[in-house]
Amino acid sequence: MLTYDVLIVGSGGAGLYAALKSRIEEDLQVAVLTKVYPTRSHTSAAQGGVNAALANKDSTDTWEQHWFDTVKGSDYLADQEAAELMCREAPEVIREMEHWGCPFDRTKAGKIAQRPFGGASKPRACYAEDKIGHVMLHTLYEQGLRHGVNYFNEWVTLSLIHNGQRCLGVNALNTRTGQLHTIQAKAVILATGGYGRVYWNRTSNAYGNTGDGAALAYRAGLPLKDMEFVQFHPTGLRRTGILMSEGARGEGAYLLNALGERFMSRYAPDKMELAPRDLISRAIETEVREGRGGPDAEVFLDLTHLGMERILQRLPQIRQLCIGFEGIDPIEEPIPIKPTAHYSMGGIHTDINGLSPIEGIYAAGESGCVSVHGANRLGGNSLLDILVFGRRAGNHALEYARQNDFQPMITNPLATAEARIQKLMDGESQERTADIRREMGNLMAEKAGIYRVAADLKQAVAGLAELKVRFKRLKVRDKSKIFNTELVAALELENMLDVAEVISQGALERVESRGAHYREDFPKRDDKNWLKHTMATKGSDDRPILDFKPVTISRFQPEERTY
Amino acid sequence: MSEKIIPTREKILANIRIQRFTPDKDRTPYFDNFKVEVETGMTVLEALRLIKNQQDSSLTFRAFCRSAICGSCTVRVNADPVLACSTQLLPIIKDFGKASVTITPMSNLPILRDLVVDIDPVIEKLAKMHPYLMKNKERIPKTLEQESLMSQKELTQFGQLTDCILCGACFSTCSAVKVDKTYAGPLSFAKAYRFSIDPRDSFRGMRIQASMDQGLWSCVQCRKCIKVCPKDIRPADSIRDMRRIAIDDGIHDTPGSRRAKAYTDDVEKFGQVNKPMLPVIVNGTKGWAAIEAAEVGLKKHGLEVTRQVCKLPGQSGSAKVYSKIREIEKKGK
Ligand SMILES: Cc1cc2nc3c(=O)[nH]c(=O)nc-3n(C[C@H](O)[C@H](O)[C@H](O)COP(=O)(O)OP(=O)(O)OC[C@H]3O[C@@H](n4cnc5c(N)ncnc54)[C@H](O)[C@@H]3O)c2cc1C
Ligand code: SF4
Ligand code: SF4
Ligand code: FES
Repeated sequence: MLTYDVLIVGSGGAGLYAALKSRIEEDLQVAVLTKVYPTRSHTSAAQGGVNAALANKDSTDTWEQHWFDTVKGSDYLADQEAAELMCREAPEVIREMEHWGCPFDRTKAGKIAQRPFGGASKPRACYAEDKIGHVMLHTLYEQGLRHGVNYFNEWVTLSLIHNGQRCLGVNALNTRTGQLHTIQAKAVILATGGYGRVYWNRTSNAYGNTGDGAALAYRAGLPLKDMEFVQFHPTGLRRTGILMSEGARGEGAYLLNALGERFMSRYAPDKMELAPRDLISRAIETEVREGRGGPDAEVFLDLTHLGMERILQRLPQIRQLCIGFEGIDPIEEPIPIKPTAHYSMGGIHTDINGLSPIEGIYAAGESGCVSVHGANRLGGNSLLDILVFGRRAGNHALEYARQNDFQPMITNPLATAEARIQKLMDGESQERTADIRREMGNLMAEKAGIYRVAADLKQAVAGLAELKVRFKRLKVRDKSKIFNTELVAALELENMLDVAEVISQGALERVESRGAHYREDFPKRDDKNWLKHTMATKGSDDRPILDFKPVTISRFQPEERTY
Repeated sequence: MSEKIIPTREKILANIRIQRFTPDKDRTPYFDNFKVEVETGMTVLEALRLIKNQQDSSLTFRAFCRSAICGSCTVRVNADPVLACSTQLLPIIKDFGKASVTITPMSNLPILRDLVVDIDPVIEKLAKMHPYLMKNKERIPKTLEQESLMSQKELTQFGQLTDCILCGACFSTCSAVKVDKTYAGPLSFAKAYRFSIDPRDSFRGMRIQASMDQGLWSCVQCRKCIKVCPKDIRPADSIRDMRRIAIDDGIHDTPGSRRAKAYTDDVEKFGQVNKPMLPVIVNGTKGWAAIEAAEVGLKKHGLEVTRQVCKLPGQSGSAKVYSKIREIEKKGK
């Protein structure tokens, strides 16, 4: 049996930061287990920036203002002491990244450059052109090579093992050989990223952002927090959901419906295309619902009036993306777009050290929920979250591993994992992963997406139950042991079905509108009844049981969120 | 008045030919053909996924971000390595005329299954290059209270090189990798060079040594790596620049660097390269055998043998250029 003191599942920013922290100390055995090669993780896709009140651009910025912006942005659902900690530690982790060689852009004085971002009162997003996630991830990976971090690349974690009080390890599949392994570990840190793929084709997320960590934790009896909060970005490309950044609208792009009308005049006559993300997403949905969308239920982002010169000069990246991914040139025609699921606010419930209710099991990054983002994450705060809480989880897990011995492993730990895979191989019907997955994505986008209403959500819950029944009979046709991507996709689908169920149930029960969660039948925020976190655990009938937990308010009393 | 938007969207029924190989099933790779309705906007990756979802679920390939940033999905389309996720299929099919396209895995790497290759060799070679920043104590503050200072100009020197997504396209196409399995490959040199010119770094010497150990002078400058790179990294240029800093730093005791140095020294001295003597300069005493063999050949053709070229009339001009360069370099330092 493979044995490590600390095992980190996931190699995005959160996982690598945790790994590096524990590896630098050198006295413990640490390994990282990941579905993809480390630098492929979805952290690389982040473009805009990472927040820290360095005050390089505006000398009056302070971490307290960052803290307030974060809490306000969260629609007051963030735990204020957690948000405080994140904003306080931000400058230090960013400087550490910089000392490790991260190529941030520079100010005239040679310091880290900062740019303004939505919802931030000061320019505090540190950036590297439009590839901040990529350079951060590579910097962490490079330092990992230097310090000899061990990787298990292209291994898929299937389940968490614990004895009710303490962590014992995980079961995982080596996709190269098809072998199953139990890895014993004193501490496991789940850093598996978000669950945007629950909306399948309507997301900016990578194919593998299937909420594995959340599903693993849920099946192991751990609570998931605030899962119904999913942030939608208004302008994803029609076919792929790839983001057209806000920069386009900043340059003066119009949003047009299929009739060619600048429809934002109906929803935000003053701000028009520069209204907040959630408002625009809802406006687009309304246009499409009322029959003013294009042939594919899209609307259009129009740059043509800006002229070739301006587009080539100011928006070359956007143009490149349109040509490469959509096959159209925005100089000549409007870009077809749809709102796209972008960020998962919810996740595995943890305390401010990333610790779950079971000793030795941690979660960090987008897979965890401390909660610092509450009902709505601010741009640039997620990359910060993964660093700060990746580091904290790493440090805490190390201490825990130092002070505790390995616990006895349960007998035959692989049995359930083996049975699960065998069942998928022997499936009794002709059901295919691809079909169930597509139906799940459409169901979630239509019934539990941007607009939510009780009747729809009930249909989502019922529809998911049916899909789960169909899943039980699904058959994996590919019989090879080696690199069986069909099997991996089926395992991911199983995870997403569980996560989708928790999202829909939470959305159904939360009868208010807050941040990214918008109920047409309850359009107001309701602090009296709903200023609390949703906690979901798995019931004995396989259905989620919801419980609620108060929000920690230490400084800022809830006010109306206006910009 | 606003005008209705009617997007133009085309469709062509195409034949997609894909190389297959499953090690626990097949003895050798073979090709499968799939019919796919290719439409406006469809990428190579979308076509692969369509086939997997609807026709053959065992078709195996890698993909993750599907937005050209993770570097997972490199395959060869009609022999050229590309990112499947950012390559439009319709124009390729129209270009080709036959409504057909061939997809194969990257070359120069072992195939694991179908379009998936083992990229560990690439990473192992990269790891030997010290591909990380080693702190330069003069530039990086001791504590995390302060940032290190670096100008945008300094950053620009190596900024573009940080775009590499380790997609392996350059490795797949590289002429030097093809003939020499120990050659580090284009991306490793680009990465080594990126850190070597970062003013915050202190490990340049070690990296130059590591580069030489892994074939810095074996690159034939065919520049194919420049052509295929989806991120415009220009590894061949980094290799050239790495050679230059190796010589500048006086770390040049290799055949390739001796050749480069002989070229520049000769041009200054004679206005041309002293070709007859190159084998000895480059390869040491072993070179005499080559010179003698060449001389035998020349004599057979009745040609006169010489071991020293004459000064060309233009030599004084080139000497002037050299002294000017030295002057500039001095000022620069
Ligand atoms: C297009 C886009 C742009 C963004 N821009 C910004 C921005 O400008 N600023 C900002 O702050 N945030 C941004 N974000 C959000 C931010 O990038 C993410 O929230 C963050 O990178 C998540 O990091 P992570 O380490 O938690 O997870 P990820 O980077 O998603 O990594 C997850 C890891 O877990 C592994 N994994 C998952 N499941 C398993 C399993 N079962 N077994 C083994 N390994 C597994 C994966 O292999 C991967 O290595 C953006 C997000 C997107 C999609
Ligand atoms: S220029 Fe050099 S590194 Fe680039 S492909 Fe040719 S031989 Fe390889
Ligand atoms: S240098 Fe270019 S082609 Fe080579 S791995 Fe990096 S991004 Fe890919
Ligand atoms: S899928 Fe990530 S680069 Fe193509």
